[in-house]
Amino acid sequence: MNPFVFHVPTKIAFAEGAASSTADIVKELAGSRALIVTDKPLMNTGIVEQILHGFDDMHYVVFDEVPPDSDVDCVNQAAEVARAEECDCIVAIGGGSVMDTAKVVNICLTLGGELLEYQGLNNIAEQLLPLVAVPTTAGTGSEVSMVAMVKDRAEGKKLLFGSRYLAPSVAVLDPLLTVSLPPKLTAATGLDALTHAVESYTAVISNSVFTDSLCIDSTKMIFEYLRAATKNGGDIEARSQMLVASTMAGVAFTNSGVGVVHALAHSVGAKFGTHHGIANCIFLPHGMQFNMDAVVARYAKLSRLVGMSNSSNDSAAATELVTAIEKLCNDCGLPRRLRDAGVPELKTADIEELAFLTGSDPAIMFNPKECSPEDIKGLYERAY
Amino acid sequence: MQFFANTDELQEVMNELWARIGRDPDMSQKLLQSKLIVQFQYREPEGRVTVDCSDGQEIKVSVGKQQIKPIVEMAMKADVAHDFWLGKVNVPFAIVSGKIMARGPVAKALALLPVIKPAFDIYPNVVSQHKKVLA
Repeated sequence: MNPFVFHVPTKIAFAEGAASSTADIVKELAGSRALIVTDKPLMNTGIVEQILHGFDDMHYVVFDEVPPDSDVDCVNQAAEVARAEECDCIVAIGGGSVMDTAKVVNICLTLGGELLEYQGLNNIAEQLLPLVAVPTTAGTGSEVSMVAMVKDRAEGKKLLFGSRYLAPSVAVLDPLLTVSLPPKLTAATGLDALTHAVESYTAVISNSVFTDSLCIDSTKMIFEYLRAATKNGGDIEARSQMLVASTMAGVAFTNSGVGVVHALAHSVGAKFGTHHGIANCIFLPHGMQFNMDAVVARYAKLSRLVGMSNSSNDSAAATELVTAIEKLCNDCGLPRRLRDAGVPELKTADIEELAFLTGSDPAIMFNPKECSPEDIKGLYERAY
Repeated sequence: MQFFANTDELQEVMNELWARIGRDPDMSQKLLQSKLIVQFQYREPEGRVTVDCSDGQEIKVSVGKQQIKPIVEMAMKADVAHDFWLGKVNVPFAIVSGKIMARGPVAKALALLPVIKPAFDIYPNVVSQHKKVLA
């Protein structure tokens, strides 16, 4: 067995209506002046307002300017608001961009100084202020992850922050908050969660029996409930299963890493703005085919454990898993090629640039098989 | 017991290793293309080695405290560095388990890991030469 470490710094609370107790959770964490980080579309749904009722007897300030792909300017604005209001805790209500923004704001608020000084891995060595994450999508896993990414638009770069102290103190999982998520976003974020589970399961240099068990169960739950959640947003059981599966996959990947599929998705997202979940959906079958010879036995085991195959032949069982994922994407109405996801025709220079970005994405370190620039270019060509 | 007896021994070995990497056309060319300045900060024993590829012409290696501001800083125990150059460190695991700290745009530095792999063959020779001289 490989050596491993396994952290779950985040307390996870799940219940229908759990979000209404967010203020109580903040008080348990000794928070008295809360910065609420969210976005405008969510404010317009009324979801945030319902949660804020619980904060009536404490001081809070709402920052709702988080864009879909958050950046350093947004972080600095939110941190300024929090400092002016002397906030001592943060509540993030939203998807991955909101939660990542809140994590980076927490660095600014707790540690001060220059944000760039904290960019990197294991570079934060002390406890940050309490952060409560209330996800409104089921996919990113940011509510439990120990990483955050925001854009530095001035430099045209993504900044990566990774430390166990970045993980939220509490994740409040309330499926009622996800019922208004449109079908396409439900499906895309669900595929993000599935990609976390599959890549984490095959991150064979850093996974463990703990991450494996989370990957297996979350994969099974996603296969069983993503179609239903996509077809009928009001199906609370499907929404609940997806929300929990996403968090389980989040715990898994934040401990073991992901792989080439995420590296490809990050790169195409950075260059063309392709939605992360949709990019993962497109690249996942290609990434699995690429890794097949290195981890065929792992894919086969996962395929059998989640009920996608009963073949004793590893190659057949692994292929059945890839086919099942492709069918899931089709059933959920997700695009299967980059060209169908709004990516313009890839010229040689584009592929060169994408290959460079992919090859230098930290996610690729955890891939079970080394990827040469030529391998990566081939993956882009096949996915286009 | 730690592998390097003291700061001088650690820095001499790392200085010589990087000098040899700089003389290898394949490795040096790719490192120079990155234009990175990477500083390795070691503990047990303390040591600091700065590898400056910023001019794209020549890899400049310096030891001890430097005025130059690194783009990426990597901090670890000297024994972790020794094991790394012997090819014994699982870098993703070392990062996940907190054995390596990286500050700055780490993706750029991590992308160079495959580039410096040929130095795993050079390192044992550098170490044995230094140990002989010091013996």
